[in-house]
Amino acid sequence: MEVQATYLERVRAGEWEALAARRDKARLRKNALSSALFGGVGAFTILLVFLLLAVIVYKGAPTISWEFLSQPPKEGMSAGGIWPMIRGSLLLMLGTFLLATPIGIFGGVCLAEYGERSRIMRLMHASVAALAGTPPIVYGLFGLAIFVLKFKLGVSLLSGWLTLTLFSLPVIVLTTESALKTVPSALIDGGLALGLSRWQTLWRIALPYAMPGIMTGVILSLGRAAGEATPVLFTASIYYSTAQLTLGWETLRQPVANLPYYLAEGYRQPGVVPDHLIWGACLTLIVLVLLMNAAAILIRTCARRRYL
Amino acid sequence: MMTAAVATPAKTAIRTEGLSVSYNGKPALKSVNIEFYENTVTALIGPSGCGKSTLLRALNRMNDRIPDAVTQGKVFVNGINIYDRGVNLTRLRREVGMVFQKPNPFPMTIFENVALGPRLHYGLRGRALEEVVEDALRKAALWDEVKDDLKKKSGLALSGGQQQRLCIARMLAVQPRILLMDEPCSALDPISTQKIEELIVELGKQYTVIVVTHNLQQAARISQYTGFLMYGELIEWGETRQLFERPQRQETEDYIRGRFG
Repeated sequence: MEVQATYLERVRAGEWEALAARRDKARLRKNALSSALFGGVGAFTILLVFLLLAVIVYKGAPTISWEFLSQPPKEGMSAGGIWPMIRGSLLLMLGTFLLATPIGIFGGVCLAEYGERSRIMRLMHASVAALAGTPPIVYGLFGLAIFVLKFKLGVSLLSGWLTLTLFSLPVIVLTTESALKTVPSALIDGGLALGLSRWQTLWRIALPYAMPGIMTGVILSLGRAAGEATPVLFTASIYYSTAQLTLGWETLRQPVANLPYYLAEGYRQPGVVPDHLIWGACLTLIVLVLLMNAAAILIRTCARRRYL
Repeated sequence: MMTAAVATPAKTAIRTEGLSVSYNGKPALKSVNIEFYENTVTALIGPSGCGKSTLLRALNRMNDRIPDAVTQGKVFVNGINIYDRGVNLTRLRREVGMVFQKPNPFPMTIFENVALGPRLHYGLRGRALEEVVEDALRKAALWDEVKDDLKKKSGLALSGGQQQRLCIARMLAVQPRILLMDEPCSALDPISTQKIEELIVELGKQYTVIVVTHNLQQAARISQYTGFLMYGELIEWGETRQLFERPQRQETEDYIRGRFG
């Protein structure tokens, strides 16, 4: 009876190479294909972003001048600068930063410390995550109903701060939480073994370690808030104010002009604000947001360098 | 070559009574009775997973950190059962310091690493704090290497061996009297290991030192007493020389002769 040769016997020593060569060829083909696919789609995405930037720079750059940035509008908004809008946006951001940062960090600490154990905290986590994805107009309407009407704060800088704070909080809470979760447990062990209490370990070791990540989250979240028109649409915005540009307690109760609202409204009412002013404001807003993001990156790299 | 001389034990610093620990219902340590003497180095040896680290971590209640760990029995530190209700963990860990397998300096300057404990525990500041930091770094045999950039260099910028000595300094700065070391050399190169070993011998003159090690030669070199654990049980413990030269139990003999583990 003839014994069937085993697979190993059939594939003689020299044939391994032939088998491998076939696989190699297939692998190379797949590599080339995936490089082309990922590279192509990636390049397309980056190109789109640059195209957007290029168009805005191309259209907006000629308008930018010191006068444009530092002067109020003139001649029924058909000429002049956009200083009140820049100032309003900066004011909105400053207050939001001061309110949202501490509250958001406390929220994130709370979730990171108690999040896994209790069911209520898990529910809270899910809710915060859902809030982070809630459309900004919802915050705008909430702000209108609660801060503007219920608390009678009116359409004002204060209402804008509160609404934008709510809007940026979920992202700050979530980034704080995830930054705290990246703290190596060996460091926590080290703190506890020194006899530090849980809170001392958190404040002295975990938070400083997580701070670059937290600040990145704060600034990115603020950058997002800076560009949104809808949260401030009904709560803080005024198209153009002829009020004196002075700062004082009364500023809190007054509405403020700001860049996103100016863009939305200026574009919606054709013929009033000339296109080149709109493009100029558009570029200004983008540069403002990019500067904030650059600050975030700078903070992160500096903090890393300090520790390593 | 260092030789650890056997001195007559003065006093018991830690004594365990029927100490058992289980993780998720799985026993990791079974009714251990052992004593650790003052001004003495005790080594804990045994194969991987034998419970030696669990025993160590039970002595300053670091097992509290593990959610599913259940501890039974008693551990007397200076006569007080640390598993009694109302024991102050901060006070316990001030008394019983710990160094881990992998060096874990905090992401801050060398000075801040060492200063953190005394500042938070004793409210030290200024000159007093600097003295305590220098003293701790000297005891950890690190002072000469770092004195020039104490407040400039991050603890993480040091080499692995230096980092471990920084962690030892950080522990000493809190002024403990009992030192727990969980395989303090296993992540280090031979030269750093030798330095830490010399340091342990030196520290053993003033502190109660308990070292977990999987290196038998190391245990023989640095300790006056040794405990041998296997499968969560303390098989045998006693004077190091005695345990290595005339083990009482077959398991100990097998392990030491390299027939097991």
